[in-house]
Amino acid sequence: MGYIELDVIDDRPKRIVIGIDLGTTNSLPALWLDGRPQILRSDGESGIVPSVVSIPESGEPIVGAEARARALVDPLHTIFSVKRFMGRGLADVELDLDMLPYRVTENENAVVQIEVRGKVLTPPEIAALILREVCDQASRAFDGAEVASAVITVPAYFDDAQRQATRDAARLAGIEVLRIVNEPTAASLAYGLDCRGEGTIVVYDFGGGTFDVSVLSIEEDVFRVLATHGDTHLGGDDLDRTLVDLMRAELAGELSADELADPAFLQAARLAAERCKVALSSDPSHELRLSLPDAHLSWRRTVTREELEQRIAPMIERTIAGCRRALADADLQPADVDEVVLVGGSTRIPAVRRAVEVYFGRTPHTELNPEEVVALGAAAQAEVLMGGTREILLMDVTPLSLGLETVGGAVAKLIERNSTIPCSHTEGFTTYADNQTGIDFHVLQGEREMAADNRTLGRFQLSGIPPMSAGLARVAVKFHIDADGVLTVTAKEQSSGVKAEIEVKPRHGLTDEEVEGMLEAGFAHAREDFDARRVADLKAELGTMLLAVDKNMETARSSLDREHLEDLLEAVEKAEEVRGGDDLDTLQRTRDVLEQATLPLAAVLMDDVVKETVTGKKLADL
Amino acid sequence: MRGCPACGARLETPLGCNACGVLLRPADDPSPFEVLGLEPTWEVNKTDLKKRLLRFSRLLHPDFHGISAADQKELAEANSARLNRAYEIVLDDFLRADWLVAHLDGPTHSDERQMPAEFLIEVLEWNEALDEAQASPPDSPERGALEQLVTTLNRQHEGLLAEIGRSLTPLPGRDGSLLSEIRRQLNAVRYLSRTLFRIRDLRFGEAPSA
Repeated sequence: MGYIELDVIDDRPKRIVIGIDLGTTNSLPALWLDGRPQILRSDGESGIVPSVVSIPESGEPIVGAEARARALVDPLHTIFSVKRFMGRGLADVELDLDMLPYRVTENENAVVQIEVRGKVLTPPEIAALILREVCDQASRAFDGAEVASAVITVPAYFDDAQRQATRDAARLAGIEVLRIVNEPTAASLAYGLDCRGEGTIVVYDFGGGTFDVSVLSIEEDVFRVLATHGDTHLGGDDLDRTLVDLMRAELAGELSADELADPAFLQAARLAAERCKVALSSDPSHELRLSLPDAHLSWRRTVTREELEQRIAPMIERTIAGCRRALADADLQPADVDEVVLVGGSTRIPAVRRAVEVYFGRTPHTELNPEEVVALGAAAQAEVLMGGTREILLMDVTPLSLGLETVGGAVAKLIERNSTIPCSHTEGFTTYADNQTGIDFHVLQGEREMAADNRTLGRFQLSGIPPMSAGLARVAVKFHIDADGVLTVTAKEQSSGVKAEIEVKPRHGLTDEEVEGMLEAGFAHAREDFDARRVADLKAELGTMLLAVDKNMETARSSLDREHLEDLLEAVEKAEEVRGGDDLDTLQRTRDVLEQATLPLAAVLMDDVVKETVTGKKLADL
Repeated sequence: MRGCPACGARLETPLGCNACGVLLRPADDPSPFEVLGLEPTWEVNKTDLKKRLLRFSRLLHPDFHGISAADQKELAEANSARLNRAYEIVLDDFLRADWLVAHLDGPTHSDERQMPAEFLIEVLEWNEALDEAQASPPDSPERGALEQLVTTLNRQHEGLLAEIGRSLTPLPGRDGSLLSEIRRQLNAVRYLSRTLFRIRDLRFGEAPSA
């Protein structure tokens, strides 16, 4: 059974608990229904919400496919791949910066901030908008039901700050987080439910922005992660960048340095690169083309699959090195693996599949849709958490070791990487000077021996220790990692009972006050009146669609057959008429009719090469 | 073991009752063996151990207490952490021996920091080989020599643990000099594990820094 509260009066489902794959490129909701997880989508839609936010002049954010469509026309105010910035500081994302068409700064807590139209937005706020849109879409797909709470997935290799940033995003979106689940683990669940196999499996998850590999043992319906490894900064975006670099290098003669760094150029190049990469997964060669009317530039160049493969080979090698490490940590050889499951859009690339196949010596499992499997697993986990089934159990691990800096600048590890969570460990510390009344603790995450080489999670002080000789104080420091993978640290001086407890507020993280402030400011639309929000969205959407039609009216008149043209004109007229009103149902109906009516025009506008990959897309997406 | 305070059934673990599903707050900190419902011994059946982990996890894991009352939720977190740590200690040969020595009131690592005397000369040689390899480029003969070193270290590691196992079977009394000897051997095991780990990292390339 699904987690649906029935309203006895009108017998309509009211509240649902869903799984959300919050991806770098795309996000997706799923729901457990009729004994299995299913993607929540309205008829004829993919269910996918592109993880893109655009802030138009009105200041009212646009999210999803529409925002993505605005990337070209409004590059300065359209934000993509925000997941790469979650829980990060400016220095962490330096590599990305020259690719970004908008201004990125850092606040006093070293949280990345994106400046759009005079507003300063943090990554959790932007992610909150995406989460809100995903939930709204889930509601639409499920008869207006309200999303009560959700399981949200993160890359397994996300550190504490990145997980907390994800939690903050959900809070800002007004969604109760049932659990933060690792993406490869969620995927394994979907795989396990589908195949009912036992044994050792490897989930190779190569997505839009991150790479994860997890080694799991499945037995007696317990999915136990043995080891995980990854790179939170390696994904399809990086593969695209190799082609953007190619464009920049070859256009260096034609365009000035300023033009090559221009937002419009970057967005156009990025989108062209992505399109070309996708096409090269099915075609041996593809034309990379870029047209920038403002710069009087129309450039094209054929890229072969071989050429792309050469450019991305070092990145694929990095993923295989990650597999090698994960297997070594699990104390296994490639031959011990019974099945390899591919997850994430980047695994559609033939060279990636080949590399995985060669390393593990077996053909990977590709029956599940790599773009949907994470959301499906999250929905299954939501079902477990709501008490729906006790059949399956996930036992996950913490990806990175946790410790404290010692006097010499080294790290005392309290929790080793790949420890099963929840887990706790207590370690004793003492004072090193006579009459020392306080001890500073520096909490670290990472594998390196010296504190300075690891990531700082936070610093705190235990004060009020009674004066005594050096080495006499007995301070017990306890680390606890909960089932979400988030750390709490407590310290207690045992002879005096002095206690300090901190929920480690990571550097690069928002403070509670900041989150409260954002909630009050309401920019992320926490728990807003659903209908009013929907009406505003529909109006904005109608506006964009009408604009798109208007721009292409000439083509419509010359290329559409009579019947289609009449339908379109009629739908446009109706839309112009109702867009001033506030009736939700009318707006929704009109939008749906207009969308249908624009499909033939969209088909005409696509040239033959693109047609194959984008069939079924709406006009506004093109 | 005591019976369940809720239903009276015999308890397999002090952390909860598999018969009625109630989670329990153990009075004092139970030992890793107690947590797993076992007597402290060196010999453990790893298949049985894993079955216990899975069975008790089905009882304790926070996933199954998502909609329980707050105190049960908190207990699920705490008890799962206890179970996971207990499994880690009892499963791992080094950690298990380390715990057993402490359990028998033997010296801890900070009380007895020496390694067995016959070991020291070899440690110096191994360290030298490792330092040389570390300073040499990836395809050098010094790196190639690591292959041989790994085999040697692994053999030593296994040999020492087997010896420790023999000393701890059956569990000895509180024999100070025997326990000190075991502690020294454990220090050598720890050194070997760390060195093997260092070599592994060298082969993979250093772990990425923050």
